[in-house]
Amino acid sequence: MENVVELTNVTKTFKDFSIKNMDLQVKQGFVTGFIGANGAGKSTTIKMIMNLLRPDAGEVKLFGLDYKTHEKAMKERIGFVYDGNVFFDGLNLKDIKRIVAPAYKQWDDTLFYRYVEQFELPLTKAMKTFSKGMQMKASLAIALSHHAELIIMDEPTAGLDPIFRRELLDLLQELMMDGDRTIFFSTHITTDLDRIADYIAFIQSGELVFNQSIHEVAENYALVKGGLELLDRDTEKAFIHIHRAPTGFEALADNMKAVKSIFGDTVVIERASLEDIMYYMKGGVPHV
Amino acid sequence: MFNLIRRDVILQKKMLLTFIPFIGFFIFMDSHPALIFLVASIFIPFNAYAYDEKAETNILLNSLPYTRKEIIASRYLGAIVYMALSIAVTSLALFIFNKPFALSDIAIGGGLFLLFTACTFPLFYIFKPGYISSVVLISFIFLAGIGPPIVIFLAENLTAITDFIASLSIPVIYTGAAVVIMTLYAVSWGVTTIIYQRKAF
Repeated sequence: MENVVELTNVTKTFKDFSIKNMDLQVKQGFVTGFIGANGAGKSTTIKMIMNLLRPDAGEVKLFGLDYKTHEKAMKERIGFVYDGNVFFDGLNLKDIKRIVAPAYKQWDDTLFYRYVEQFELPLTKAMKTFSKGMQMKASLAIALSHHAELIIMDEPTAGLDPIFRRELLDLLQELMMDGDRTIFFSTHITTDLDRIADYIAFIQSGELVFNQSIHEVAENYALVKGGLELLDRDTEKAFIHIHRAPTGFEALADNMKAVKSIFGDTVVIERASLEDIMYYMKGGVPHV
Repeated sequence: MFNLIRRDVILQKKMLLTFIPFIGFFIFMDSHPALIFLVASIFIPFNAYAYDEKAETNILLNSLPYTRKEIIASRYLGAIVYMALSIAVTSLALFIFNKPFALSDIAIGGGLFLLFTACTFPLFYIFKPGYISSVVLISFIFLAGIGPPIVIFLAENLTAITDFIASLSIPVIYTGAAVVIMTLYAVSWGVTTIIYQRKAF
């Protein structure tokens, strides 16, 4: 079994937004970063993966199982961290543990207390007194204490200060050391991904634009700069989006080799960062 | 499942401290024992909704290895468990304060509680969070105010039914009421499960 998460042809329509025919695979043993602008459909997708929302059509499978028949077995194997605090905010961490722990067959108290110590979390203070970073760490301690194979996180780094963010990323990297664990997390802070992601799934307006390894992204996507005289109806086809300025053009291409063979040395070709890709994609409709 | 029921106690630890003074107030006011059993039973299960109507709680519960069926079952079974416990505590309190009560008071209080639960639990999953508590509170006051006159009106005008009920023996009335209430409770449970399974969080 190679894919831990498999979305096939998933469609979900809301009044003013929809996810259309999404196919998404998350590979076992890797970190997949899920990027997209605010409102692109990241949280909706994650909710469908968690069975908080049901798709109108299509199939959601985790570990090769589906929610109709194996809901409990599947959720036993998932650790989750959400953007906001989902734990009862009037309770302290010890009481929250007393509610959450018995839900899991594989709950490991020793492990939990080790994380509590490592994250320096107070056990007897109410959750609502925690800072955003501490709440995130508390959620993480709970998510990691039942030996989950798949860890799903919705915007775990949003609202954290840079030091906390770095610590979190280091911790995730550490977690990936032991074998078959898979991490899937959404973010719009693309620099997080350069550090730890193996794969990048990019969603825009409810559609999955690509799901590639971080090396493929680096090899394929390019930022091209050159004089306006180089552009005509044929050469423009090499680009996903073109930004024209009086001094020249700047464009995003998803096939660096093709661009090199068309323009040769007449243009400047740079690697496109994830942020460049997100920015230019937002500006225009991609060619198919 | 047991964990889901037990969580209400953990959540309401502090609230529970007010339970005894709460019943004490009703005992002190010399309320009818059946009414005391009713309000005592309502205490825990309905306080629980102060937490459960929040979207975050539903996200949490549904992300843990529980099915939606179990989450609703824990509410309906929990209501019965907490009713039994509350009745036991209340009986003890009444006994200590030397207030006489009969088994029929327990039966009426418990029966009314189950009836009230059956009618209101589905509402918690139909209305938007935030509105529900007021809806239930208003409906409780409304029913308490308008219910008795309606019953009296019906009793006077539908003599066929009143005569029929009057012709029944006491055990038959109690058994009949129990069967009707249990049926309503089961239907309510089923309806709530269906509503909850269709919800999105």
